[in-house]
Amino acid sequence: MSRIFGIDLGTTHSLIAVIDNGTPRVLADLAGGALLPSVVAFLDDNRTCVGTAAVELEAIGDVNAVVIRSVKRYMGLGQGDLAPEDRQRYTFVDTTSPVVSFKVGARAWTPPEISARILIELKRLAEAVLGGEQVERVVITVPAYFNDGQRQATRDAGRLAGLDVVRLVNEPTAASLAYGLQKFTEGRVAVYDFGGGTFDISLLNIKGGIFEVLATNGDTHLGGDDIDRAIVEWLLADVAPELATDRRVWNRARAAAEAAKRTLSDAESAELRLEAGNRTIVKQLTRGTLERLAAPLIERTLQCCTRALADAGLQATALDAVVLVGGSTRMPFVERATAELFGREPLCSLNPDEVVALGAAVQAGVLMGAQSDLLLLDVVPLSLGIETMGGVMERLIHRNTTIPTSTTEMFTTAVDNQTHVDIHVVQGERELAADCRSLARFKLGPIMPQPAGLPRIDVTFLVDANGILNVTARDQRTGREHSVDVKPSYGLTDEAIERMLEEAIDLGEQDIEQRLLITARNDAEQIMTALRKQLKEYVELCDPAERERMEGAARKLAEARAGGDRELISRLVEELNEISRPFAERIMDQAIHQAVEKHTLQEL
Amino acid sequence: MVECPSCARLLEPRLICPECKTPLAFELDCFAALGLPRKLQIDLAMLESSYHNLGRALHPDRFANASPQVRDASLRATALLTRSYRTLRDPATRAAYWLELHGYKLAENNQRVPPVLAGLVFEAQEELAELRDLDGAAGPDAATARARVQTRQVEVEGLLDQSSGALDRIFKTLDDADTGAAPPAELVMRLKVTLAEGAYLATLMRDLRKALDSRTAA
Repeated sequence: MSRIFGIDLGTTHSLIAVIDNGTPRVLADLAGGALLPSVVAFLDDNRTCVGTAAVELEAIGDVNAVVIRSVKRYMGLGQGDLAPEDRQRYTFVDTTSPVVSFKVGARAWTPPEISARILIELKRLAEAVLGGEQVERVVITVPAYFNDGQRQATRDAGRLAGLDVVRLVNEPTAASLAYGLQKFTEGRVAVYDFGGGTFDISLLNIKGGIFEVLATNGDTHLGGDDIDRAIVEWLLADVAPELATDRRVWNRARAAAEAAKRTLSDAESAELRLEAGNRTIVKQLTRGTLERLAAPLIERTLQCCTRALADAGLQATALDAVVLVGGSTRMPFVERATAELFGREPLCSLNPDEVVALGAAVQAGVLMGAQSDLLLLDVVPLSLGIETMGGVMERLIHRNTTIPTSTTEMFTTAVDNQTHVDIHVVQGERELAADCRSLARFKLGPIMPQPAGLPRIDVTFLVDANGILNVTARDQRTGREHSVDVKPSYGLTDEAIERMLEEAIDLGEQDIEQRLLITARNDAEQIMTALRKQLKEYVELCDPAERERMEGAARKLAEARAGGDRELISRLVEELNEISRPFAERIMDQAIHQAVEKHTLQEL
Repeated sequence: MVECPSCARLLEPRLICPECKTPLAFELDCFAALGLPRKLQIDLAMLESSYHNLGRALHPDRFANASPQVRDASLRATALLTRSYRTLRDPATRAAYWLELHGYKLAENNQRVPPVLAGLVFEAQEELAELRDLDGAAGPDAATARARVQTRQVEVEGLLDQSSGALDRIFKTLDDADTGAAPPAELVMRLKVTLAEGAYLATLMRDLRKALDSRTAA
């Protein structure tokens, strides 16, 4: 049997890892990068590129490409869940289907299909590094607080990528496995996982190789993305609020905000610079301002922690260790806030970007039978129940119940000769079913016509080790299995997945040549944009003949870029580079002169 | 006796075959699932180690490469094991389950205020209402109301301790009286009353704690 790989399918970055002789390691691509940006760019209806190439396409602002970031936030969502800001950033298809679909040209793409592109890219990356070994079976991590629909969507993404998803593992639990391997964590541990798009807190008891989750809480729409958005809103608020609706300006502002946020993990102040239309907005972001902007979001994470502690029946100070996971925990503010809440210094000795993927690889090792001393006992994050008469939610499986778990309920008919019983399964903590998340509707039957109340059907609700609900039904008297016809409320049906798989085969795999073409086009776009800007700003630094030569070369390159000849594009990029080098050097000289003059003037 | 579907050995119904270690999906009661005698008194350390040992052997993680039938049996057996552990770990749910096994049902009227607690509950509700009306306001009135609820909380805590002590004693009496026949009706009645009182005190405790917590937050 082939090896099992561990995948962290993150909101902003994704990684793939594997375990060798008990030591997990993240697989880096040939350029040394292990973090694959979870960004997918659609060049037209059929061609996509993923990762750094997609980020570059976004940076250039190519109007023909649709670039989708943070697709994880849309997993398991219905159209009714979309916020105005989602519609501002992306165009969605309005269909009768309850599943969200992004509109790209003439095609509709569901979040699992887009996530599948990321998974395929990770598979390719790993196979290129390992040379010959196939990636077929995987463990994929999900936020602990993902509901059933979001988990199903993740599993569907794996299926659409042609992978066998052996197990879904909760991200904080995976992180605890990676830390636990180092043996310095025995006892009660809190894992505070603040990533790009989601927040989780899990409390575990680790004893003799058993990692038992006591309680978990979180928010699947709370992460670094939200901090970036708060910075962008602050940046634009008093100078140019009207720009917030321009998608391209927003993308650039977001990138600038993220960069500034990262800088502020070490520095006290960072400059934000945004070119928008014919103006340039420059603002200083201090760490104090960043912390003020982030405070309401951090406060929400602390509330989740308090709820988890209450569910576990633990005092915040009763823990033996606190572990920080996820890129957003690099903010000094987060370290301070968690240290204060738990009354102890948090641990962050493992790279917070990699620890989840490492843990996924450890769990893959457990599943391969190589780590038989370890066992994960996770919980269901949100209560599962059914809608009863009057719309009240009846809880069948309470939140924080260890999985796998099951419960059996008896159902009967309400009127004579009823041939079907409809069951509506919901998930959440609210009293009314309408306030909880609808998961699926089941139709039980056909039932033999009988007087009301006579048929007795046992329905078993079983939550497996992935945290996914399975339903089976059996007639109490005949012992015969009933068919259960599942209609997921916000998910893909099996038929839809089959259809997508067939379509994907038609599309075929984009080959290396195509990817190189994309990169060459990006290079071309970059050099042309820079040149256009310089020709406008430094008119006095080139004579008309030279200008004519450069513009001629740029025109030739623009024509080639529209075509598909990669080698031609690359050659013309080189050519334009050569022709414009003296001009670029003059610009550089002038800049140095001016800097020196300014310096001397100040000294005078 | 039943037959192990994998190695055909004859065995008492259990969750795992002692011969070939295959998980078995028999419908067992919670005590049998954990390999424990049907007693009300349980050594919690033993319960936990039994749960962990069986969990290690049965968990679906151990059978990722097995046949679909074995994987399914592992899943069902583990689900039953987990449910059994949770049921038995808490003395109140364990007792309710034990009653069920003996053909008794905890009546719906469990929600009614037990007579001995009526006075206490009435006063506590008054104090909670007072605190609620002041709604986080500062000043001496709020402080007094808060102090009253805190005093009440200490009292209820003490009663909860007493109640759990009473439960332990009835557990012992019932286990000692266990002859394999039906348990004495009078003892069963006492068990039910003690359970009802304990449940009510726990609910009251939750309300008091919630009221104090939300005021602290405000």
